[in-house]
Amino acid sequence: MIAIGLEGSANKLGVGIMLHPNDGSTPQVLANIRHTYVSPPGEGFLPKDTARHHRSWVVKLVRKALKEARLSVQDVDCICYTKGPGMGAPLQSVAVAARMLSLLWGKELVGVNHCVGHIEMGRLITGSTNPVVLYVSGGNTQVIAYSSQRYRIFGETLDIAVGNCLDRFARTLHISNDPAPGYNIEQLAKKGTQLVELPYTVKGMDCSFSGILAAIDGLAATYGLGGKEEEIATPPVTTPAVDATGENGNGSITTKPTRADLCFSLQETIFSMLVETTERAMAHVGSTEVLIVGGVGCNERLQEMMGIMARDRGGSVHATDERFCIDNGIMIAQAGLLAYKTGFRTPLKESTCTQRFRTDDVFVKWRD
Amino acid sequence: MSALETISIPHLPSSMPVHVALYRDVKNAPFLRQQLISGNADFEYALIDASMVLSRTHLLTAVFRAANDYLNGRLKSRNIHSEIVFSFSPTNNIADSFRKFGIADSTTDLLLVKVSVTPEITHDSVAAHLNQSIEGTPAPFDNETLSGISDVSKIKKVYKLGALGSSNPKKAAGVVHDEMKQLELSVIGAIALRGAT
Amino acid sequence: MAPPTTYTPPPLPTPFNNTHPAPTLLTQGAEARLYKTTHLTPTTPAALKVRPSKPYRHPILDRRLTRQRILQEARCLAKLVREGVPVPALLALDWEGQGAGNAHGGESGIGGAWLLMEWIDGLVVRVVLERWERLVRAEGRISGVEEERVRDFMRRIGNSVGALHRAGVVHGDLTTSNLILRPASPGTAEAEEEDGRVDMDGEVVLIDFGLAAQSAQDEDRAVDLYVLERAFGSTHPHTEQFFEEVLKGYRESFKAAATALKRLEDVRMRGRKRSMIG
Repeated sequence: MIAIGLEGSANKLGVGIMLHPNDGSTPQVLANIRHTYVSPPGEGFLPKDTARHHRSWVVKLVRKALKEARLSVQDVDCICYTKGPGMGAPLQSVAVAARMLSLLWGKELVGVNHCVGHIEMGRLITGSTNPVVLYVSGGNTQVIAYSSQRYRIFGETLDIAVGNCLDRFARTLHISNDPAPGYNIEQLAKKGTQLVELPYTVKGMDCSFSGILAAIDGLAATYGLGGKEEEIATPPVTTPAVDATGENGNGSITTKPTRADLCFSLQETIFSMLVETTERAMAHVGSTEVLIVGGVGCNERLQEMMGIMARDRGGSVHATDERFCIDNGIMIAQAGLLAYKTGFRTPLKESTCTQRFRTDDVFVKWRD
Repeated sequence: MSALETISIPHLPSSMPVHVALYRDVKNAPFLRQQLISGNADFEYALIDASMVLSRTHLLTAVFRAANDYLNGRLKSRNIHSEIVFSFSPTNNIADSFRKFGIADSTTDLLLVKVSVTPEITHDSVAAHLNQSIEGTPAPFDNETLSGISDVSKIKKVYKLGALGSSNPKKAAGVVHDEMKQLELSVIGAIALRGAT
Repeated sequence: MAPPTTYTPPPLPTPFNNTHPAPTLLTQGAEARLYKTTHLTPTTPAALKVRPSKPYRHPILDRRLTRQRILQEARCLAKLVREGVPVPALLALDWEGQGAGNAHGGESGIGGAWLLMEWIDGLVVRVVLERWERLVRAEGRISGVEEERVRDFMRRIGNSVGALHRAGVVHGDLTTSNLILRPASPGTAEAEEEDGRVDMDGEVVLIDFGLAAQSAQDEDRAVDLYVLERAFGSTHPHTEQFFEEVLKGYRESFKAAATALKRLEDVRMRGRKRSMIG
């Protein structure tokens, strides 16, 4: 069985083609193509510009995918598309494209939950069967575990997503959005040495990131580190310890932090929060395996920290590389095909999309 | 006859027993205090005014706190014995802790504590020294004796526990009934948390 | 993936490396390990909670968090003891753990902050209710006497939670596993069931303040109650019908209970955590 998957819930437009051999052998990725809308440094991507990007590229990408997979339209069994969650306008433009293909080719539609797409792709690629899943991206931050036909959300962000926090700080520093702001923060963080004190907000298995963003933006402003790099003079001057939380901790900085120090501190703080909540969920459900999915899941420091935690619990961490971590069409095809094989269909008149679509709303019929 | 009791406190190294003696009707408190002030090494004890001690547990809690700080190299005062007096305190003021809990010229009921931090300090060596140095009546270091000595209202005041028990909801709400037990546990909590910022 | 190798818990921090017999490991959560040991005398039982340092995080951040949390828990316990709320008393504490200024050195990653608490005798309420439900199922009906007994027990649970909130502390993880029924006379807890009756007499003691905080906000109080309500729903299906008695006991235990209960209705409606429990 063959499915084509269309993904466009944020600034990545992805088209993927997935084959599930009839003999039950390992599924194969026949095509996995992506085109990203990159906004200028200091700016985020706006819904209407992103939607325009998706509209102008979707036909090209579908053609290219079919060509790469050496398939004709007749070979395709179903058309899977992202129903949500995500940004309204980009979701809509891709849903319209999916409907158009469905009518044009006479193929059935399968609306897919974006988060479930990430989880199923991660499970397929890593071979991890029943992990606790950390789903971290620009729009989502969830700690998930499977239980009786649902991916249950054990913890999530109480405000902005972790990727959004990183992206917005990249904007503060005018770091390039190419290939991705988070990637560039990660590279800069590698040069950081000094940990500045930031708020640390974990409530049970939930996290909050907006206070951290405000604090680090404030530090960037205090030390004149915002804006373009070349405009910044960075003589190492000793300044009195600034304490972003107003607490008296050992972590107070003694010398002026650099841009790298801020990126380093931001990563260390928010990734610790993610690893902590993931560990709590693992203890709760008695699991030793973790799967990290979503764009932020590419971050090697996050993978490293998660690996240390999992090792100390006698388990291991699974992660994928940028081909599958970052939004893509193949994950929509994979999750869609799993549902399709259980008889799930999305009739044309129900082939809508929705900005809010909780992971635990999906009935996972394809798992035990 | 000596009333010196030697106690092994769980978690402390077995090489570190604690020697405790209680004396009543002490006549030479000014002399003992003077030895402390002049830093006479022979008189390196924790000298505690027993009226400020509620129970055995109260004293041992302070000893344990001081011993743990000692083992972790975190003493705030000169040695483990001065640290024991300091450890009674709910605040970080060392001089104040000596004024409130340490021996005064007027002290008549005295608790002495010595920890075997070196092999030379043994039950016999401590007992012998106390026998010749303390002018007072040895008494058993037990809760019965201490309850006849301790000045509960003063202890409540120093630990700022004056309001304790008065705001309790009715008994049906599952409150601790034994007021003395509650006082002791509150004091122990204050000792454990001293210096927490 | 490779199966985990036999797990050996990390060594205990000082001074518990001296302890004979060694403390017995009871539970191992994500944050902390709980041991049974003794304190001050070899016959006084005590609970030892160790928060090991977390090697995945930056050492400065690790020290800050470990210290903050052990202190938060210790402060809540000390405060509740002063207020006469039934909780295990704080007996001793070390928020530095092994580390800075330790003359004896010690590898990084070993040790951690710890706190010693009073040992609470008795069964966790989860087990008491499970036993009771088993008995009720076996008999096929709940007699009037039994119903009154369980209702009274539920009210006492509500009283204890009310006393907690009244003292300005919220628990943060209120489940029936974090409540202990301390029997009126010591040593009776284990010998139940034989006489065909589950003992529900005694005091309901609240334990595990690892996620507790000082708060007097209706929202935080309501979330505590909601979490407890959900725990009853998922764990004690036959007892859930009597949960109203918990709220009744709560209502009568302090004045501001009424507004917290009002807020509980909002929290239920929101049901944000609906899919997260169990």
